[in-house]
Amino acid sequence: MAVSSKSKKKKKKTGSESSAPRLVSVIDIGSTAIRLVIAEITGSSSWNTLDRAVQPISLGRDVFLRGNLSPESIREGVAILERFREMLAGWAIPPADVRVIATAAVREARNRDIFIDRVMVRTGFRVNVVAGIEESHLTYLAVQHALAELKPQFARSRAMILEVGGGTTELMLLNRGRMVASHNLDIGTLRVEKQVLKFAGTSLDNSHIEQFLRENIRVSRDSLNTDVELDRIRFFVAVGGYVRIVAERVGKRAGERFSVIPRKTFAEFLEILRTHSTEEVVRTFRLTWTEAEGLFPSLVILNLFLEATTAEELIVPDVSIREGVLLDFTVDPGLRLRREFTRQVVGAALALGRKYRFDEAHAGAVTSLALQLFDQLIPEHGLDSHGRLLLEVAAMTHDIGYFVRPDGHHKHGQYILENSEIFGLSRIDLTIIGLLVRFHRGSSPSPTRGSLGPLRWSHRMMVLKLSAILRVADALDHGHLQRITTITIQREEHKMVIQTNAKTEISTERQGLEAKGGMFEEIFGYEVAVL
Amino acid sequence: MRNTTKREKSAPRYINRELSWLEFNRRVLEEGQNKNVPLMERLKFLAITGSNFDEFFMVRVATIRRQLLMKQRTACPSGMTPRQQLDQIHSVAAEITDSMYRTLVEDIFPQLSDAGLQYCAPEKWTVQHREFIHRYFRDEVEPLLTPVRVTFPDIDDVPSDVSYPVPNLRLHVAVLLRENQLQDIPLSGSEQPSKKQSSPDEGAPEMPGALEQVALVQVPPKLKQMIMLPQGKQEHRQFTFLEDVVALEVGRLFPGYEVLEQCLFRLTRDADMGIDEERDEDFLEAMEQLLDSRQRSGAVRLVVDRKSKRLRRRLTDLFQLSKQEVYATSSPVDPAVLMDLAMTDGFEHLRNEPWRPIQPPAIDPELPVWQSLDDADVMVHYPYESMDTVLRFLNEAAEDPDTLVIKITLYRTSAQSPVVRALERAAEAGKQVTVLVEVKARFDEERNITVIERLERAGAIVVHGVARLKVHAKALLVIRRNFGAIRRYVYVSTGNFNERTAALYGDIGMFSSREELCHEVGLFFNSVTGYSVIPGLRHLVMAPQQLRTRFIEMIQREERRVEETGHGLIMAKMNSLADPQIIDALYHASSRGVQILLNIRGICMLIPGIPGVSEHIRVVSIVDRYLEHGRIFYFHNGKSPEIWIGSADWMPRNLDRRVELLIPVDNVEIFHELKSFLEMCFADTVKARWLDNEGRWKPVHPTKKQPPVRLQEEMHRLAVARAAIREPENRERFHVRRRGEGIE
Repeated sequence: MAVSSKSKKKKKKTGSESSAPRLVSVIDIGSTAIRLVIAEITGSSSWNTLDRAVQPISLGRDVFLRGNLSPESIREGVAILERFREMLAGWAIPPADVRVIATAAVREARNRDIFIDRVMVRTGFRVNVVAGIEESHLTYLAVQHALAELKPQFARSRAMILEVGGGTTELMLLNRGRMVASHNLDIGTLRVEKQVLKFAGTSLDNSHIEQFLRENIRVSRDSLNTDVELDRIRFFVAVGGYVRIVAERVGKRAGERFSVIPRKTFAEFLEILRTHSTEEVVRTFRLTWTEAEGLFPSLVILNLFLEATTAEELIVPDVSIREGVLLDFTVDPGLRLRREFTRQVVGAALALGRKYRFDEAHAGAVTSLALQLFDQLIPEHGLDSHGRLLLEVAAMTHDIGYFVRPDGHHKHGQYILENSEIFGLSRIDLTIIGLLVRFHRGSSPSPTRGSLGPLRWSHRMMVLKLSAILRVADALDHGHLQRITTITIQREEHKMVIQTNAKTEISTERQGLEAKGGMFEEIFGYEVAVL
Repeated sequence: MRNTTKREKSAPRYINRELSWLEFNRRVLEEGQNKNVPLMERLKFLAITGSNFDEFFMVRVATIRRQLLMKQRTACPSGMTPRQQLDQIHSVAAEITDSMYRTLVEDIFPQLSDAGLQYCAPEKWTVQHREFIHRYFRDEVEPLLTPVRVTFPDIDDVPSDVSYPVPNLRLHVAVLLRENQLQDIPLSGSEQPSKKQSSPDEGAPEMPGALEQVALVQVPPKLKQMIMLPQGKQEHRQFTFLEDVVALEVGRLFPGYEVLEQCLFRLTRDADMGIDEERDEDFLEAMEQLLDSRQRSGAVRLVVDRKSKRLRRRLTDLFQLSKQEVYATSSPVDPAVLMDLAMTDGFEHLRNEPWRPIQPPAIDPELPVWQSLDDADVMVHYPYESMDTVLRFLNEAAEDPDTLVIKITLYRTSAQSPVVRALERAAEAGKQVTVLVEVKARFDEERNITVIERLERAGAIVVHGVARLKVHAKALLVIRRNFGAIRRYVYVSTGNFNERTAALYGDIGMFSSREELCHEVGLFFNSVTGYSVIPGLRHLVMAPQQLRTRFIEMIQREERRVEETGHGLIMAKMNSLADPQIIDALYHASSRGVQILLNIRGICMLIPGIPGVSEHIRVVSIVDRYLEHGRIFYFHNGKSPEIWIGSADWMPRNLDRRVELLIPVDNVEIFHELKSFLEMCFADTVKARWLDNEGRWKPVHPTKKQPPVRLQEEMHRLAVARAAIREPENRERFHVRRRGEGIE
């Protein structure tokens, strides 16, 4: 004991010599509780959790049953956050290092703005409502961090990450370490009650819940099968408070930051819950009433997905969305993980393209050319890496509309994208990408009218700049022959000359550029020519 | 539970809690009767016996009395009804009280007199004494006296005990008066004796019997209760008690009346009510208590001298007491004064040899305390080691600009306490200071409220306890930045943050900077200060959520170890053992061959040595100059033994109604020190009393060959030795002269 604690200390001391550790805090306003974590970022890739607090609150029950946060819950929530602010004051954490996020319950509340405003006025906390898909992203970051030791295994096989929450179930599928699908299903432990009552009309016993979930999840499961064959999934990662309750009681520690529950043990545990009343569960497993109520539906949902896979065990990491946010704080690993994240997003875009049987070679070439242009035009467009990512996804998927009909494929592509989910991207991101696809050919957009109208000014500018770049890139592989792979631009007074590595005749490309370069000149003020 | 009560009909499985407590108080008295104990110390034990009784009657007897009044017939775990318990309690308590006064009058006063300090009862006062007393009474005492007339139900047809609520435990003189003819009546029914108020209906009784009246005078509690008499020519120093003075001079307060009879008395009231409700914000709880309180009758015991049978009878009626609840004693009626007597200047040869507390040697006196805590846990063994380290730690934290947070629980403390002052300073210096003050700590409520006000003024966050539970855990958490990095330090103890009791109570405190402990103590504070729900803890154990279950699991684990290894051992030290579930688990473990050694200072409901039930259990109690107060638990656990220390006894109130903390001792050195300390508790041959299977506590009769072992003496000797061994190296050196060199 003494030895291990000493070695820990040493590690910390060396960390603290390089730079004073930073104290940060994440507050997570969830469906059943508001949670706080305070951590000391100890430098490269790690943090020390210094303090934690949880206060139960039934925001999810309010919202998923009635659509609104009740006045009592708002008051209670503000009171909890006031206490948390007092706690943070003790740790002297500057406001900039406190992130307050809210998930499904607040997100779906009709009166969420009132709540957010009240919190702001009373506590000074700025609540960031996390979109469903971002929630997946943050969870993914946390899971990846916790399961770092399993990375080699993940790189060879298929995996599913599942988190059952009060309002939603997040599901991610990975193939050889790449994200191939990510879904935010409207099934949650709190929502299920209302749904079952509507469905069964009568009492809320365990068999009704299970029957209802089984029928509903079958649909999702079948549609997932088109993304990846579920029966080839070897790794089943279960995230969240409910499954951690199981892991603490019947699981085994298998790594520094995760436990495993053998499939059989999990089934036995679920069987106990099937045959016991909530009262008995509270007593037997020493849970709170809320925990005990949510436990059964959450495990049933997990089990229904688990059944479809061939995983031998459930891997339960000790993390939550809060650790994902914390990872965002850590400087170095954040960068690394962001790179990893980009890879995952592009992987998901690629999977989408394949689903719609796109010309992968052309898509790859256009993507590469578009990114080269983007990188060399930074002084002109002034966009950041997020813009680059959107361009990359748009370039990758610009032709998926062909799947519907070549004629007007840019329009088909737009609605496919607007109605898809790509891991790690928010709704607004997908709208922008849809617009880029829409405008990669055909008439150029009007900056103020039509489909750009509802966007914020900065987003409109982004669409204009990126579609201009995409058009040029697409023109440079006009013949779908990948004759041009590397380009360098030279700026002349009113002209931008693109030098290429093409070894053969590129008249098709030149032609394409003549047809599509007009918009570039409009936006950037350069006439484009290819050498 | 019901099964066990059935089985009890053949043989009881538990000793009655109250009777076991009375045996404890008898052991305290026995120290006062022990001729090997210095005389002044014996006086203290007598005073403690008396004040112990006060508390016992206020709380325990009051509770049982209420059960009886509410016609509750449920038996206690030992199978006795409330009636049976009360009968036994009074019979034993009366016996102990008599024994105590006999010792005082027949043994201690004569010896004290031989030593030069003599009690001079009023009948022995000289003229010179009388003059002195008279002057003293007139100048110092009389202005503070407020006589009140008492109305009696049988005479005035008003409810008793209403016109003047006699305060709990306060010493009073009752006088039976007869009006002299043709005189004014100086008394009124109200508290102020004012002639104006003597309206005809109150003052001029028309019934012939009403010529006799009863009046009460409270002996001023703030004055010195012991009065040294002028020395004169004799060598002896002589003293008398304030109660004697007031009793003798009281007639002067009633001009126009003749004092027929008089007596001194103290009333003990039910104090197990009306303490915390008003301050508790829990409306439901306050309501329940309010409704319940209507059923309660106020008085539970009357202690009265033997001077007036008539007054005794009338007081007994007035307070609606039964005969057995009246205790007739000799002087002094309030034995608390014996403590003052024991504190008389001089007479050092009649006192314990002083054992100066040692500074814990693991703490470097030249460095800030926290610097000594970075590498290993540090234990402080009170009162052999001093509380200065904790105070220094707090004071340094208060002044240290790198300290961010101080969190502490205060159970019994005072506004003058250096702990409170350090916390005030820290809060004023802008640190976040969070203090949990347990408002409901019995008999310290008022003091604690002053503390709360002071701390709040200084800017601390003060939590006034937790609804329905008392926070009894003793914990301190300090968070500081060491070169920018967060470091935390905790201190957890079996005793309170109270420098006065730390010098008198045997307790164990432990400092640690281990992250897992600090983190969990932090979570403990988050839950008791309302930041968070009750946490799931991996290293610490908290009552009321997990503690009983964990103890029972550890006891049962020991049973399994017997099966696996043939050996199981539990050594536990605590104040009281009164939890039937734990006792049952111990019985079961004993029946499976687990050896169980219990060092229990006070109540023990477990019966050791019953064949087939508890033959492997032995129980010892130690009552000596320090109050044994530590709670230490050792489980052999095969070959990986565990020691835990904490604030909880094995009593239902600790396990169900209090927030307690139990922490593991992982540091090897501390582990061994505590283990040998526990072993020493069972090796004492001087102060130990072993409980037999009939509920009697018997001393050890050591053979002549064995040298006597006295735990507290050993512990003191060891502490001194430890301090000597670890004394910092001598840094002085000789100035050596050598050829060609000056003096260095």
